[in-house]
Amino acid sequence: MSFSTEQGTTSLLDRIGTRQTLHAYVVGLAFLEGGFLAAALGDGQVALIGSESADAARFVSAHSGACLSLAVDLGGDRVLTGGDDGRLVSTDIAGTASTIKAISGRWVEPVAVSVASGLRAAAFGKTVRLFTRDGSEVGAFDHPNTVGGLAFDPKGRRLATAHYGGASLWWAKADGQQPKRLAWSGSHLSLAWSPDGEYIVTAMQENELHGWRVADGADMRMPGYPSKVRSMTWLPRGRYLATSGAEPVVCWPFHGKSGPIGKAPLDLGWGFEGVVTVVAAHPRHDVVAAGYEDGAAILVQIDRDHPVLVKPPGEGAVTALAWSADGQHLALGTESGFVGRVRLSDWRAPT
Amino acid sequence: MNQIPVTVLTGYLGAGKTTLLNRILTEQHGKKYAVVVNEFGEIGIDNDLVVNADEEVFEMNNGCICCTVRGDLIRILGGLMKRQGSFDGILIETTGLADPAPVAQTFFVDEEVRRRTLLDSIVTVVDARHVVQRLGDSHEALEQIAFADVVLLNKTDLVSAEELTQVEKRIRSINATAIIHHTQRCKVDLDAVLGRRSFDLERILAIEPNFLLEDDHQHDDAVKSVCLLTDRPLDGARLMGWLQRLLAERGQDFLRTKGILSIAGQDKQFVVQAVHMLMEGNFTRPWGPNEKRESRLVFIGRNTDEAELRRQFDTCIA
Repeated sequence: MSFSTEQGTTSLLDRIGTRQTLHAYVVGLAFLEGGFLAAALGDGQVALIGSESADAARFVSAHSGACLSLAVDLGGDRVLTGGDDGRLVSTDIAGTASTIKAISGRWVEPVAVSVASGLRAAAFGKTVRLFTRDGSEVGAFDHPNTVGGLAFDPKGRRLATAHYGGASLWWAKADGQQPKRLAWSGSHLSLAWSPDGEYIVTAMQENELHGWRVADGADMRMPGYPSKVRSMTWLPRGRYLATSGAEPVVCWPFHGKSGPIGKAPLDLGWGFEGVVTVVAAHPRHDVVAAGYEDGAAILVQIDRDHPVLVKPPGEGAVTALAWSADGQHLALGTESGFVGRVRLSDWRAPT
Repeated sequence: MNQIPVTVLTGYLGAGKTTLLNRILTEQHGKKYAVVVNEFGEIGIDNDLVVNADEEVFEMNNGCICCTVRGDLIRILGGLMKRQGSFDGILIETTGLADPAPVAQTFFVDEEVRRRTLLDSIVTVVDARHVVQRLGDSHEALEQIAFADVVLLNKTDLVSAEELTQVEKRIRSINATAIIHHTQRCKVDLDAVLGRRSFDLERILAIEPNFLLEDDHQHDDAVKSVCLLTDRPLDGARLMGWLQRLLAERGQDFLRTKGILSIAGQDKQFVVQAVHMLMEGNFTRPWGPNEKRESRLVFIGRNTDEAELRRQFDTCIA
């Protein structure tokens, strides 16, 4: 794949994409087995879209309020969604939605799945609950405040949570434990664990990131954003962490001994107006898809100057991006319910 | 994107907040509200737009000691935006013991909240019979009145006309800018409570600046309003410099600051509003051709030295 010098006015979506309107805020997107694209929506439905361009979306009532989050569930043929109806739901490509847990009056926001350990985690307000493949609850971890973000380590043996005052590290499965607290004052809204397991990064209310080296708890401040960072994505092998929240795509270097300590981030994709709202790294290449608040989306590549236009502005802010596991399909969704997908294997760079 | 109006409902325990909330939710007014209730509320409505909130008050890590926000609200408002189109406005009920400052400050501090919502007004329900006692023993009851844009002086059937006058005077001396409605069982035209755009502050122009002089000063509440008035244009830079210094140093004592000001050389009204140290100022609409270009600035706070504030204000006259 090559993203050479092209920054023409014709977007990838216009040339090699398909588009659909789902009429509700796109909260999250994920590619599933068989080329299905799943979209979690603000009206509580999960939309399933087949791989052929003529395929219409099939809607499944997953939640009675809004979907708040989405992750690919175990098996790869289903998605796990949290909702403001207090439900954690798994919806498969056949359109069957099954409730794993429901607690009335609690919002289920961050969810995470570990293929390595076969566990799923979801925050019900202040309590993170852990479920096995068959839906049995095997752990409940209480926090002093609502949990904003959670992530498994690469082996799925530990779970990190973000909340007011810092992050907590739990052993997945062992009940009745005290977590290891990583303290940093302020409110921590979401969390990412590096693919090599060495770093934890949170996005904060104060328009900055905070990182910890897991081995020794060393702190890393990553300030300087003009707005809140809502989206973080690790590039292959965890060499960079790309983030939303600024005009360029801000990529912090995590290769080398001390991670981003003392290093400046790379700013990619200059020249596009407005703030990046969501980012998603290609699964194999050092390429990041980025969506903007004006509805535009681009692809940027580390060490290359020119971004490629995926979608021109319009249809509301980009709220979700997803790559297929092989990196040949990219999907994007907006707050007005627009969903576009691009098959990159169809694309040849102009000569 | 349209900003969704937000109404904040405060009031001490037993004042009648839940009655008002239930009325708003059950009466036919053609509007649909998402409601954020506190866990201890007794709202009897089964509605998928009712959200339970823990009041999670967070300190902002920005070096401003009194800057607290409601972390749960930031999250809930963000979540509700995913259901845009399914409601016309948002109501936030606070617990009876809540200090309203973190709620109000949330609408100043969080950029996403600011972009997508508009703090329409803070409505405080006050029990006419018990408020005097509450003001004596509860710091929160005082703050709730001080922060109000609209006060519902409720349960007026339980007090005499004379008592009512005294209570109203007392509320007035704490908060000179609030609109006060007398109610029984919170019976009030909902247009008086919802969709007020109170935060645009236009009504400051209608404040009778000398009313405090008429006050008999029987009740010396810790929180008072100070109203400053001049018909001479102000120097914009000097005024902002003074207000910024004042609120940086004394912001903890100053609960709310509101003003509509005439700046020398400017055709438009300059509107300032602040919650504690957080201030914003904007030029809004032009002064009307027949409108008297007067500047009015109101401080609602503790330990306010009116003479000294007036002296400093006068140094800002152009």
